[in-house]
Amino acid sequence: MASLYFGLMSNPKKPSPKSSERRKDVVRAEKLQAGYGTKAVCGVVSFSLHAGQALALVGPNGAGKSTVVKTVVGQLEAVSGTALINGDEVDDRTLDFRREVAVVFDDDAFFPALTVEEHLAIVSAGHGVHDVEEVIASELDFFGLGQLAKSRPYNLSSGQRRRMLLASAFVRPRSLLVLDEPEQRLDTGMRHRLAERLRAEVDAGLALLVVTHDPDFLSTVATKALFIADSIHSMTPAQAAVAISSENPHVD
Amino acid sequence: MTMETSDRFNAREIRQYTFRAGLSRTEGGVMELVSEAYTFVLGGLTLLTMAGAIIVGLRNSLGVGHESALAATVVAPGFHSVTLLQASATVMITLAAALLAVEMTVGPITMTLPQTAWWLGLPVRRRGFIQPGFLKSLIWPAAAAVVVVIPVALGMASAPTPGRIALAVLCGIGLGWLLYGLAAWCQITNTGGWLKVLTGVVTLVAPLTLVGTALYNNTAGTGAITGAQTAWLEYLPTSWPLLVANGALWPLVMVLFALLLLAGVYWNLERITTAKLKEGAAAGAYVAGSLMSMDASELSRSLGGGRSSGNAKIRLPLVFHGGTVFSRSVKTLLSTHATMALRSPLSLLRVLVLAAIPASLAAVQYLGNAVLIAVVLYFCAHFAATSLGATARFANGNPAVDMLMPLPAKIVRRVHYVWPAVGMTVWAAMCFGLLLALGVGSPALLVLAILAGPGLGGATLRAAFRPAPDWNMPAVATASGPIPTGAVRAFLVGPDLTLISLLPVLICLISGGVPPIAFPAQLGLTLIAYAWGTHVRKPKSAKSGGLFGMPPVPVQK
Repeated sequence: MASLYFGLMSNPKKPSPKSSERRKDVVRAEKLQAGYGTKAVCGVVSFSLHAGQALALVGPNGAGKSTVVKTVVGQLEAVSGTALINGDEVDDRTLDFRREVAVVFDDDAFFPALTVEEHLAIVSAGHGVHDVEEVIASELDFFGLGQLAKSRPYNLSSGQRRRMLLASAFVRPRSLLVLDEPEQRLDTGMRHRLAERLRAEVDAGLALLVVTHDPDFLSTVATKALFIADSIHSMTPAQAAVAISSENPHVD
Repeated sequence: MTMETSDRFNAREIRQYTFRAGLSRTEGGVMELVSEAYTFVLGGLTLLTMAGAIIVGLRNSLGVGHESALAATVVAPGFHSVTLLQASATVMITLAAALLAVEMTVGPITMTLPQTAWWLGLPVRRRGFIQPGFLKSLIWPAAAAVVVVIPVALGMASAPTPGRIALAVLCGIGLGWLLYGLAAWCQITNTGGWLKVLTGVVTLVAPLTLVGTALYNNTAGTGAITGAQTAWLEYLPTSWPLLVANGALWPLVMVLFALLLLAGVYWNLERITTAKLKEGAAAGAYVAGSLMSMDASELSRSLGGGRSSGNAKIRLPLVFHGGTVFSRSVKTLLSTHATMALRSPLSLLRVLVLAAIPASLAAVQYLGNAVLIAVVLYFCAHFAATSLGATARFANGNPAVDMLMPLPAKIVRRVHYVWPAVGMTVWAAMCFGLLLALGVGSPALLVLAILAGPGLGGATLRAAFRPAPDWNMPAVATASGPIPTGAVRAFLVGPDLTLISLLPVLICLISGGVPPIAFPAQLGLTLIAYAWGTHVRKPKSAKSGGLFGMPPVPVQK
């Protein structure tokens, strides 16, 4: 993989001091209403997420879960209310935000001439990761893409491209991980492995905000849940798993 | 999660890495694209040569004069044209509005979709990603200013000197940069929605004022609008380069304003949000796709910001109860076309404007040149046809409804033909009717154009149902990104049949007369266009017999 960097690795880089302090509220949404322009798509949402917690947003299609998540990470302006990340108002233009927050939406956009490992190298190198090649190789293996490292994304299947996108969140440091329906287009085995991996990372201190429709994934990963529909309900993961499996989602 | 980190690469290093890795795998060059298109280029040149020979022969046999067809005017003697000043001012304001509209949609501060997806999340200063593209793209408004201002200034200046023309071009560059800076500032501050609507209205309405003025002038007699009455148009900021060409220097202050605004944009580049960059990237991809398909309707929608302008409240009956299954299905398809058209009133307005543009050109003093009008007419016909082919194109992209119809594929295709054919026949009648009202052509040419209308409907269908470029083919690197081999061929499917359908009309327009043979020739070409446009390609498996090369399974009838 030496040719991966086209000589960019020739400059020896000094290690930076490690971030030590683990702040409590990684995400705090206060009376947040998400939408487009002045038009809200769901009710008022309030929640907080600490390090070592995983909050799952669940609910029917079109309820506004992804819109809430996009607002929380600053990709949409809030109709009303505020979203704070690490105590600061969300602004994805700041370096701190991008250093701490890893976001994976379903953006199927790739550089057509770049290989899978080169895409991941951009992310790793951009975050100053040590041992980029080992990190990428390890994640490619985890996501079952080891044999496809030199392939170009548009030659992969839809599910493999999804794995590649997910891998991009794991080849970089992160204190908050935001995933929008990560289970989509993944086979059962991969879903299970991903859920276990996320659970382990949450136990190790990661804050995870995830939108999901998969009750098994939810049960494995989440430490709490928010049901977004006509009204907003705070739930335990077990209640939420039942809610999204059942015809009547209003479980108290 | 925590990881061992070191100093990060900066934006410049990441940008260079991405480009160098991409360039290392280029599989072809521009010559591949040219060689791929050569048969079409050669065919087009042959067609033009043949048309030229027919035009010269016709002009000789009709005795319409010894002047070269390239210089011949088609405007009737005694016609009151729109003054060159009004025309220049209108052209300048239209182009300025169009430039601003494009910039406000695609964004002067622009990135591609992959760049927004893979670069924007990196904790490096974004200036390194944004600034080089921003500075490089300043060349485009400057180039547009040079291309537009030089001919207009040469035509308008009372005593053009190289110095005055150079200063006029400088003022034009200032105007281009001012518009560019304005669009960039709106992008950074997320403002200017009203300005975008205004530019859209100006772009649509301005060309119509030329036709309106010409029609008024020809009926008003001594009350016709004079040059003195339109002199104020010269003082519109978009016309300032023309003032400079005539010796004024104060309009050059525009260059100073532009530089100040650009400096303000430059220092605030990093204020632009991720959402705005992603929006611009998505719009840019949409515009590029529309340009690749030469689709006026999609292009207009993409430049309008992708929002639907239609009125979903319009509901025509889609389910019919009377008659046979066949007639009910046909009615449903026809009703679908009507519903889609009525829900896009802007699209219909665009078709009307496109019918008026050749007449706008003919209305301008010194611009009533036959060849110029013929070329503009061809493009207007093609763009009008693509606007009317929106529903057919949608059916091609989403064939589920067509496949559910209890009708043979050939019949479905013919039903899709009805709306574009009727629409283009009406378009041809309006376009040539307006030209006739301005003294261009003759009633016989109008009849010939109406006969071409159904042929243009066939061309619409050919464009709508063209095969998509095969993105699995090897890509060829171009300035606008990789293009698969085969894309150019797909690009020409549709415009080719528009040209063939219009050939007799265009030849007669340039020749200045309509010989009797033109009518059967036009009818024949219209029939060919109909057959070609409504032809349904069989899938490859059907051609070779059975699936996967196996012998076909006998079907009991």
